[in-house]
Amino acid sequence: MTATIENLSATEIEYTSAAPATAGVQAPCDPAVSTRCLVKRYRDGTEANRGIDLDVRRGEVVAILGPNGAGKTTFLRQLTTELKPTSGSISVFGVDAIAEPDRARRLMGITPQEAGVFETLTVQEHFELFARLKRLSKREAREGAREVIAELGLSNEIHKRVGALSGGQRRRILIGLALLGRPPLLILDEPTTGLDPSSRCAVWGVIRRAVADGATVILSTHYLEEAERLSDRIGVIKSGSLIALGTLEELLERVNRSYRLSYRDPFDPAGDLRVRHYSSFAQAQQHIARELLTEYSIARATLQDVYFALTGEPFDQDETEVSEVTR
Amino acid sequence: MTRLTDIICVFRIQLAGMRRDVGAFLLAALIFPSATYIFANAVGGSGGAPSQNRLRFLAGSIVFSLSLTSISWLGYLLLENRFTGRLKLFATLPLAPSSYVFGVLIFALAQAALGTTALLLVGRALGVEVHPNFPLLALVIVLTIFCLCGLGVVIAARARSFSQGSLLTDTLGAGLVFLAPVYYAPEMMPRGLSFFAQFLPTTFAARALQTTLAGGHAIGGELIALSLTAVAALTLGFRLMKWREE
Repeated sequence: MTATIENLSATEIEYTSAAPATAGVQAPCDPAVSTRCLVKRYRDGTEANRGIDLDVRRGEVVAILGPNGAGKTTFLRQLTTELKPTSGSISVFGVDAIAEPDRARRLMGITPQEAGVFETLTVQEHFELFARLKRLSKREAREGAREVIAELGLSNEIHKRVGALSGGQRRRILIGLALLGRPPLLILDEPTTGLDPSSRCAVWGVIRRAVADGATVILSTHYLEEAERLSDRIGVIKSGSLIALGTLEELLERVNRSYRLSYRDPFDPAGDLRVRHYSSFAQAQQHIARELLTEYSIARATLQDVYFALTGEPFDQDETEVSEVTR
Repeated sequence: MTRLTDIICVFRIQLAGMRRDVGAFLLAALIFPSATYIFANAVGGSGGAPSQNRLRFLAGSIVFSLSLTSISWLGYLLLENRFTGRLKLFATLPLAPSSYVFGVLIFALAQAALGTTALLLVGRALGVEVHPNFPLLALVIVLTIFCLCGLGVVIAARARSFSQGSLLTDTLGAGLVFLAPVYYAPEMMPRGLSFFAQFLPTTFAARALQTTLAGGHAIGGELIALSLTAVAALTLGFRLMKWREE
């Protein structure tokens, strides 16, 4: 069933099962989410978001990256209607999320960054009660809960108290609660923070399945690998501004960092690993020849390189970034 | 209908929390006010306390129990929900903040019903003669809970930290009982305090309960005062309990 967006009820705007999995899918003219000149100034004068413009296409996954305190969570909290913007506009499937927050929220599944679970409920009770609060009927709530619990790999824990679960399992519950009712938009604030690698992979699987079913996802993350693997486009927020947005290729092109040369200084072999970026492979080779390097590697640049170029903050602490981009 | 479902779900979520703490709740709701009753009885004239005094002490203990239930424990619960991030989970839902507060209020009423019944049984066991008008008694309890819960909601919504809020709810939960002429006659209070205390909801609640437990009906003034306070406190509580931050 292809859902209609016009009547704007989450239970009716379910994932469009016929929709392709990733970006580029949809071409209806209206984006799933659109923000214009979004500004958030707190009472103490801090400007956490400074005029963010963003269009997220339907069925797309957009990852938001940025250093701590850059304004990622403030941005997402405004999208989820939890925080009222100082100025600007937010549209969610055509609904003005500032004027009609309740209506907009019905279209979203949200995983806040620091939400707590109800430890005395069993896993099943937790999902069923929250499904009911998402306006699902008793039968839908029961079935939806079982479905999401299975997707999250928590079927063996279904009758356990939430308080008896591990931190990773609790985090999975929070993500599962967002999936209940199959909302067309998922907003996940650092969904896998604190999870072990296998739990993280399980969550990625859940998000991918939701996207395959037609959901649009906006997530913030501190894991570059997560952003690379999950998202169609990546946005980088720094000091409250969206300083870059695009596919990984577009971002690499933008910062002229297609190749990454890692090497040790031949005159200081015990020194730190050094890194330089080049826009072409040949330029990297020239540097190797010129400097008589013997211990080096050239690789395609990664999101980590883009992130450093844009924010000035390295992710890998074992490397010394030579902040020089050679064209 | 949807609203009712929301309220019931919130109630059930809170009720599930009580499963773990039911022993502690019963202990606190029963032992503390019962002990206060026995203490007041002893201080007020040992076993020879006139029946009117015994009734006052029992009514006082019920008010104490209601105050603990609605301000101290309910306030604690609301603070816990807020400062452990559980409130954020509710805020992600298409749930009105008022439905959340009503769900929690119903939970407080259930606790109050349990605590009051237990105290009436204890009173009966200790030989207090009561002739309660049950519908009127229920009305007084509901209004008292609404008044005091409103205060709990206000504190929980405005507290800057969990410890600040919890300190306030504890102080107010006991303070509103001992600063009001609940266990003793108003004339025994310092004049300034006595003037202030006559406007406290616990004063109206104790007076109404005492009359109702004695089989009386003349509590119109107290009911009006409790209703007005309940409306004021809950209105303020609803206004402050918001999902959306400015």
